Amino acid sequence: MIKLSDICYTYMSDGPFEKAAVKNVNLTLNSGEFIGLMGHTGSGKSTLIQMIAGIVKPTSGKIAIDGQELYAKNCDMRKMRFKTGLVMQYPEYQLFEETVFKDIAFGPSNMGLSEDEIKRRVFFAANLVGIGDELLEKSPFELSGGQKRRVAIAGVLAMEPEILILDEPTAGLDPAGRDEILCKIKDMHQRLGITVILVSHSMEDLANLTDRIVVMNHGELAMFDKTAEIFKHSEELKRIGLSVPQITEVCSRLSEAGFPIAEGIYTVEMARAEIERILKSEKS
Amino acid sequence: MLKDITLGQYFPGKSFIHNLDPRTKILCIVIYITVIFLIKSFLGYAALAIFTALCVFSSKIPVKFVLRGLKPIMMFVAITALFNLFLTNGRVAWQWGFLTITYEGITLAIFMVLRLFFLVLGTSLLTLTTSPIALTDGIENLLSPLKRIGVPAHELAMMMTIALRFVPTLLEETDKIIKAQTARGADFESGNLISRAKAMIPILIPLFISAFRRADDLAVAMECRCYRGGENRTRLRALKMSYRDGFGFGAIILFTAIIILTNILSGRLGLV
Ligand SMILES: Nc1ncnc2c1ncn2[C@@H]1O[C@H](COP(=O)(O)OP(=O)(O)O)[C@@H](O)[C@H]1O
Ligand SMILES: [Mg+2]
Repeated sequence: MIKLSDICYTYMSDGPFEKAAVKNVNLTLNSGEFIGLMGHTGSGKSTLIQMIAGIVKPTSGKIAIDGQELYAKNCDMRKMRFKTGLVMQYPEYQLFEETVFKDIAFGPSNMGLSEDEIKRRVFFAANLVGIGDELLEKSPFELSGGQKRRVAIAGVLAMEPEILILDEPTAGLDPAGRDEILCKIKDMHQRLGITVILVSHSMEDLANLTDRIVVMNHGELAMFDKTAEIFKHSEELKRIGLSVPQITEVCSRLSEAGFPIAEGIYTVEMARAEIERILKSEKS
Repeated sequence: MLKDITLGQYFPGKSFIHNLDPRTKILCIVIYITVIFLIKSFLGYAALAIFTALCVFSSKIPVKFVLRGLKPIMMFVAITALFNLFLTNGRVAWQWGFLTITYEGITLAIFMVLRLFFLVLGTSLLTLTTSPIALTDGIENLLSPLKRIGVPAHELAMMMTIALRFVPTLLEETDKIIKAQTARGADFESGNLISRAKAMIPILIPLFISAFRRADDLAVAMECRCYRGGENRTRLRALKMSYRDGFGFGAIILFTAIIILTNILSGRLGLV
């Protein structure tokens, strides 16, 4: 369980460029949940998740992960960071090793694992993000942009964190690659029961994957609810520069046009089931 | 620690000092630095402190912000002070084994610390009150007489502008890389000197790669816009002196006179 109480963060405090990026956020996220995080650019999403990952210390407020308060005297921050895996926004720049294999192994070897275990994890993670074995001995700087991104993500997945945090992991990837990576992450979430926090601007991805969604607006927590509930507030979302999945838009237009379609539909599958149900009942 | 680096950081404002012509400020700082090395007595340092304090106050920049520039040089200052303290010959004040401190050493160490402090304070005040663009325009303008003897004034100024422009960018980049590697369990704090130096590799390699990439991108972008040197280029903001600059020069000349006076006075009275 992740519990944030009254979290604030200010960049460049007491200067002319002071910027309150996160203001008084209170949140409780359960273990094993798939959480979505959305908000306009500059709403404080990245700052918030960096605080959860124990990379950035909140200016004020407390964060507790599974009951352990971060930055408390008895808290081993390094150990806590192994529990949370953070894939930063545009993580390509974190690559530095001679080979892809060594780069993915950087995290696991910092954890002090055995050679065999490191090897197993590197192959597991590389496979998960679709990096073939033939690429493992190449230099990471020879790869294409998309491949670099995958290697960077694999570097975090190989640490097998209990809480996986992804900051816009698919921004700038091709659609096929995007779906593939997200699908693998969903799969990992279900199989291993890990908690996932996904920052994304794609309403479709959030609708398809998440259990609950956190909405940020100008550094404040705007909404936090079940995915279905969030997408019922299309007006409010639009006001803060966000939107609803296209299929939700389609359904509300249908409803306006007099088609008796139910509210709260946010995935294509749901819409198809609902339309089939209506068509069937109209026939009989 | 990164946020303590105020070098090249501009603190926008509309104060008297902000509005001085960059050329005035550069010339004044050159005089100021020369004067710092001329001071021979504590009386002179007192005058220097008062003058610097007046400048800081009239710039309307929070004192805390100006003093922040001193933090990164603390270590350097401490080492310099120790060297002066222990390695100056003169009347012995204290002795323990091979370590000797002399009265001359104590005075010299204090002078050295004061000099370095005021040097950094003065120069940070220059960069805090002058935007990088204005600063390099000023330097280019002051160097332009040397163009005749083949000094590439415009190119030098351009290089400086670019370097200053990229200080914040690279700091931001470093910050991001440190965060990313910390998230992967990199440990920068524990271990001996060698393992700590090794721990810097995951930061330095990505930083160099990104700096080279940026340089390359910038070169291509400049070439695409057919950029070529300083000949016949005009400026959006032409430099212009005003009555303020007269005051500025007046103040620095008065200050120099006072310092020379303190030197003569302390010489007469036999003060240090
Ligand atoms: N390193 C930084 N220094 C100063 N301000 C920053 C820094 N990082 C982010 N900010 C500011 O904090 C606010 C929140 O940024 P961020 O958390 O990155 O938002 P998001 O990820 O939602 O786009 C923005 O206004 C941004 O300009
Ligand atoms: Mg972000």
